[in-house]
Amino acid sequence: MRFVVAILLTALLAGITTWLLPWWMIAVSAFIVMLIISVKPVGGFLAGFLGIALLWLVVVMTKDISNAHVLSGRMAKLFGLPNAALFIVVTVFLGGLVGGLSGWSGALTRKIFNQ
Amino acid sequence: MRVLRAIIPLLLTITLVYALDRPIGPLPAVGPLLDPVNGCWAGAESEEEDFNADLKLPGLKHTVSVWFDDRLVPHIKAGNDHDLYYVQGYVHAYFRLWQMDMQTRAAAGRVSEVVGAKALNFDREQRRKGMVFGAEHSLKAMEAEPRTRVMLDAYKAGINHYINTLQFKDYPIEYKLMGFEPELWTNIKSALLLKYMADDLTGATEDIPLTVLRDALAPEEFAMLFPERITGSTPVIPAGTAFTKPSLQKPAAPSDSTAFVHLNVNDFEVEDIEGKGSNNWALSGSRTKSGAPILCNDPHLGLNLPSLWYEVQLTAPGINVYGVSLPGAPGVVIGFNDSISWGFTNNYRDVKDFYTIQYTPDSNAYVFEGRQIPFEKKIERISVKGAADYIDTVRYTLHGPVMYEHRFHGPGGLKRPLAVTWMAHRGTNELLSLYLLNRSKNYNEYTAAIHHFQCPGQNMIYADRQGNIALWGQGQFVNKWKGQGRYVMNGTDSSTLWKELIPMSENPHVINPSQGFISSANQTVTDSTYPYWYNGMFYEFRGWRINQVLKGMQQATVQDMFALQNDVYSFLAANALPIMLHNLDRTSLDDKGRQYASLLDKWDYKLTLESEAATVFQTWSSMLHKAIWDQKFNSIPAGLKPSPERTLQLLLMQDSVYKDAVNISYKQTMDSLGKLKNGLQWYQVKNTSVNHLTKLPAFSYPGLKLGGWGNAVNAVKGNHGPSWRMVVQMGKEIEAYGVYPGGQSGNPYSKYYASFLNDWVEGKYYKLQFLAATETNKPSSFPYSWSVQPK
Repeated sequence: MRFVVAILLTALLAGITTWLLPWWMIAVSAFIVMLIISVKPVGGFLAGFLGIALLWLVVVMTKDISNAHVLSGRMAKLFGLPNAALFIVVTVFLGGLVGGLSGWSGALTRKIFNQ
Repeated sequence: MRVLRAIIPLLLTITLVYALDRPIGPLPAVGPLLDPVNGCWAGAESEEEDFNADLKLPGLKHTVSVWFDDRLVPHIKAGNDHDLYYVQGYVHAYFRLWQMDMQTRAAAGRVSEVVGAKALNFDREQRRKGMVFGAEHSLKAMEAEPRTRVMLDAYKAGINHYINTLQFKDYPIEYKLMGFEPELWTNIKSALLLKYMADDLTGATEDIPLTVLRDALAPEEFAMLFPERITGSTPVIPAGTAFTKPSLQKPAAPSDSTAFVHLNVNDFEVEDIEGKGSNNWALSGSRTKSGAPILCNDPHLGLNLPSLWYEVQLTAPGINVYGVSLPGAPGVVIGFNDSISWGFTNNYRDVKDFYTIQYTPDSNAYVFEGRQIPFEKKIERISVKGAADYIDTVRYTLHGPVMYEHRFHGPGGLKRPLAVTWMAHRGTNELLSLYLLNRSKNYNEYTAAIHHFQCPGQNMIYADRQGNIALWGQGQFVNKWKGQGRYVMNGTDSSTLWKELIPMSENPHVINPSQGFISSANQTVTDSTYPYWYNGMFYEFRGWRINQVLKGMQQATVQDMFALQNDVYSFLAANALPIMLHNLDRTSLDDKGRQYASLLDKWDYKLTLESEAATVFQTWSSMLHKAIWDQKFNSIPAGLKPSPERTLQLLLMQDSVYKDAVNISYKQTMDSLGKLKNGLQWYQVKNTSVNHLTKLPAFSYPGLKLGGWGNAVNAVKGNHGPSWRMVVQMGKEIEAYGVYPGGQSGNPYSKYYASFLNDWVEGKYYKLQFLAATETNKPSSFPYSWSVQPK
């Protein structure tokens, strides 16, 4: 349960902060959430990864569908990727990776203070 | 231990974030780019994007309405000039900001600042040719004139208000990819854009190669191969038109040794001499089915995305005009209003001349009329992305800037200092011309308007609802002595300087000629009876063809005009191919050779997109041109060869002389065609592309299915062609059609980015929705509107 809350909270906090602040607030968000909610280090990584990946996937898919995949198609070509879907996968994975690493860091940092 | 275990992933996270947040070499920072909220995804325009808006803009005087039609063409209606151009600036920036920024940077030689050292030579050349020098002069003239001052200031305010509302998330994608930010607009940028056009249209000259050839060839041979004017032109101003009696005397030419210099330089770059091409023509009512005049124009320019043009209707008290505008400049450039219509083709009279400059030993002064005159030195500081600033010193003489010297080589490594005198350096006010032209109601107002248009010189076609058609070979020209400026001139002598200006009213013009039509396609402007001397880089094939077609045209309709603008009949092929085939020795050919020859036997001379014969002919004629001239001219240090027009004439006069060349070039053609991989169809071989200004393939359209070439009316080449096709019938109701290869939005992720491209490729047109000035209700077919209020 705590794990699910951590995912949703990460997504929510990152959604709000990156609306106004730079993109790397996703890292700050995942870190803060894992400081507040106690999860294991691996759980911290997964929650951070899934939280950010989920957020980015939802935002990207919403835009991509209404845009009729024009953007994802052109960006895929720009990055030398074979198709639009792969560009979306890469986007979401990168966001997830940043979230995961910082979630992991957050969970471990919490442990320092919880001894 | 626990601390250490926490620090490692933390460092990893920070490293990853840091790496993603920074550009890597020329690549943009990936993190901010992929951010779904603020990055590239912010530009993902919905297919159902709602462009309706209520805007409150500071500095506006009254309410302005902007109605967008189904092609996203804005119809702007304002209560005064200020508000009109304010909102035009806002709309231009809203849809085309990055392009406006980039094109003015290119004009000013500031591209290195955003792309790095690879643009340094380009930037240096722009500065050394005096682009900013010229723009500053024009800015002074435009700001001194109250009407154009209002235009520029209001336009700038509109752009800047838009820029000030932007955050990173709202930037056009190109900024995010290239890693720079929009900067505020200034009036000099509009001036620079107009000079950018002047450079595009009057920048090319043949002075340097002709100077070399003149020494290298015997005088008779030089005159035969490079005639000053080609014979048999069907000039822009119909032959036999009476010209105004000249008010100026023909200046006496100084002796050759005083006037001209000799250049001993190796290795000039080969120039493309196949011809660019713009066309315009007008038919008087006597030749049209409706009885109303029809005006047609298709200016040919480099084809890029976002397109050079932006369609717009501007309405305010005293003005109701529709046409294409240049993002970066207020007003409409080519179009029509309630009363008149007009179009431009390039005039190609030479208004750019070179002078050799003799430096004093310390390089601080130059010699003129035996005196030493100190240079005015201008330090050009060029910012270079990822490198230190580059400092260039440009020396200004009374002729103009020293463009080439040992620090910046001319074509082929020319080291000798050459200064350039150029009409585009002068403080001219073309904007005033557009201001007045947009509001002109009749021929007299039209001529008064265009007399402010000095550079680039244009063949300005005209038709009105009263039934008149006219054309002016308009621009500011110099009363030159015979030969002046055709070759590089001696800069130490005052006799070579430009002196009197030809009065505007004596520019070549014609109104309602008895032949019932007027046309121009960059050919020679006048017959030999025009009282002033001029030279230029003229092209004849399209003019020959258009005049041939129009001469036979009766009861013309707008559909006939569409067909002529899309005409791919090659005048060159029709005249040269029979002689080429006649001289071809078929007995020595293999099967393939005979097969291609029989393809040519049956060909209708049309460069249609699927035609294989077109590919064979085009390759053969270019090989033939080489076979005839390469041997002779490759040993001469100049890239200029006789024009295709002249070559055709020589071929017609003495075809047997070229028999060997015909056969050798045919064999080379077979070899060359054998190497083609994609197929033999003409469009596959010529590969017309409309590329994004950055050349990024992801934003470009290569391999378009198009026929035509520089020797046909529809002169679509690799990435050059009709940038705007327009046909306007000036009847009781104005009936206008147009299309350009692009779309109204500059956003590559918008469905309006290249929405006209396919229809342009297929030769289709849109009916232009010209609203009456009195129209108070948005037509129901118009999907969006902006209500713009003063703040």
